[in-house]
Amino acid sequence: MSAPTTNDEQEHAARGPLWLEARSITKQFGAVIALSDVDVSFSLGEVVGLIGDNGSGKSTFVKILSGVYQASSGSLLVEGKPVRFHSAADARAMGVETVHQDLGLVDSMSIARNFFLGAERRKGPFLDLKRMERETSAMLREIGLGNLRAIGQDVSRLSGGERQAISIGRAVAFQRKMLILDEPTSALSIQETEKVFEFMRAARDRGLAVLAVMHNLTQVRDVADRFVVFYHGRKIADIVNTGQSEQDLAHYIIEGKLAEMGIEREQVDMGVIRAITTE
Amino acid sequence: MCEAAEGSTTGNRGSSEVSLRTMGSGFRSREASSAPTSGGPGGGVVAPEAPALSRWGSGSPLTRLVRQREFGIIAVGVVLFAVFSLASSGTFDSFQTWGGIGSSAAELGIVSVGVGFLMISGEFDLSVGANFAFAALVMATMVHDGYPPIEGLLVDLGIGIGIGLLNGIVTVFLNIPSFIATLGTYFLWSAVVLIVTGGTTITILPPTPTLLNVLGGFIGDQMRSEILWWLGIALVVGVVLHRTVTGNWIYAIGGKRMAAREAGVAVARTRVLAFVLCGMLAAFAGAVQLAHLGSMSAGYGSAYQLEAIAASVVGGCALTGGRGSMVGIVVGTVILQMLASGLILSGVSPYWYQAVVGIIIIVAVAMHTRIGAVVHGAES
Repeated sequence: MSAPTTNDEQEHAARGPLWLEARSITKQFGAVIALSDVDVSFSLGEVVGLIGDNGSGKSTFVKILSGVYQASSGSLLVEGKPVRFHSAADARAMGVETVHQDLGLVDSMSIARNFFLGAERRKGPFLDLKRMERETSAMLREIGLGNLRAIGQDVSRLSGGERQAISIGRAVAFQRKMLILDEPTSALSIQETEKVFEFMRAARDRGLAVLAVMHNLTQVRDVADRFVVFYHGRKIADIVNTGQSEQDLAHYIIEGKLAEMGIEREQVDMGVIRAITTE
Repeated sequence: MCEAAEGSTTGNRGSSEVSLRTMGSGFRSREASSAPTSGGPGGGVVAPEAPALSRWGSGSPLTRLVRQREFGIIAVGVVLFAVFSLASSGTFDSFQTWGGIGSSAAELGIVSVGVGFLMISGEFDLSVGANFAFAALVMATMVHDGYPPIEGLLVDLGIGIGIGLLNGIVTVFLNIPSFIATLGTYFLWSAVVLIVTGGTTITILPPTPTLLNVLGGFIGDQMRSEILWWLGIALVVGVVLHRTVTGNWIYAIGGKRMAAREAGVAVARTRVLAFVLCGMLAAFAGAVQLAHLGSMSAGYGSAYQLEAIAASVVGGCALTGGRGSMVGIVVGTVILQMLASGLILSGVSPYWYQAVVGIIIIVAVAMHTRIGAVVHGAES
């Protein structure tokens, strides 16, 4: 049992085929239930905005998708086939790239060396630095970062948005299928945020499934094609972005529209109701 | 040891190669419908014209030289050289003096190659001095007792590798900071040396075995073969550091370990490898000193851990890891030795040596930080 996802949503506009499905995911840490029976599907060519308060289970969910945690029960399916991610490396090998808040770049290394870290180009036993620089420039130019200062330059010189862009570019370049971004814009200025959104859209338009964990409702409206809302370890909404206002979104989270979405009262933790009525 | 690691990245490498070639065509259908701007069939990678991107790599050779992190310290070396040449009224810049400086610097230089390499990976080894003496004393005893010198050398290297491996395992798998872990093993091995030898000096009487001549015999008036070992080792390790995947991983691990792990770098194995290299080179330096002096005692090399760190830091290695270069490590060692010899030849009391070294360390690090701020635009 989970929140409603109507079928016409699945046929949403330019979205590509279904890629990853999380089915009835439950995660317990001892007696604490962090996630309870969560179903979410991700399609290629779609940006999903995952929203919810602290403790709603969104980061636990992301860690399960990226292989850091394993679900206590439930299953993951890639292209319809069950998979198990025992580690982050497993998830990456299957095509799931996660960009963490600390961005996963080495400040003291050049852009090109960062880009190919862990998948270095070689000529015989040696690094092929020229080729790595050439290919990094080409790739970054393709996602619209052509005027990035210099490819041989240290990453420490770049802005937060540019670093995000490099991480996103890396996922695209290595043909990942799914890109997970954990609070990608929490430390960025407004202009930089807009830039990063462009790169996220560029990744989507190249056919990646993009999942962005965000808490800023205004921002998530700008970039997400679909919203998934978590509350207390449950999915309480899964809705296509049809231009809802920020208030609408807040309502989805905290108000009677839950009922409208077909969620039955007893499914919802009483805490929600209390939160809703006092809001 | 690295075969597996490199093998495991082959998949990525292969697929991404395809990626860059086929990116345009792979997503062409989508792009064709929405934005028909992205080149023709197969036109994945656009013509390489991005002036802004290539600016860094270009520039005159001089500008590029000045941008190097080592530039400042090389300049300091040149200044010191000029000062000592003048102060010593011509004896300092002679070939003999330099053969002597190089030969005296060689043992510290070999230790520093390992210590600097390890420092770039973000770790320390304070046990190199004890390792140096212990491994070389065992070798000295074996040669003294009539074992073939080559066996002595292999045992020496084996001890160094073993000590390095232990340091690596304790640091990486017990998750103890290497400063503490190797401080512990430093005391441990220092004690073992004294327990085993009772503090005596072991001397190898003539005729000197050939192997010892190869390691540290004279090859010129003042110059000993150890200088060639030092420079050869620096060259090989420098190539590994700057031009191979392993070296790239060393920088990544020292720069940001979590990021390296996330990128699929074999972090634990590479860290242990750096400790093993450092231990092995310390033991080899001990063998070289045994060859040079013809004797070995528990106290030899006891100052090397700090001097090697000093040489690396003067040469531009960041104490926190992630930055540094082999050229810098070698130049740092040369500067320390130049100070020692230069002060004597200039008629200054050798008691001043440590004071000057102390000042040079502080000046050098301040300079690296400044240059780092200009070149890299951030903390270094």
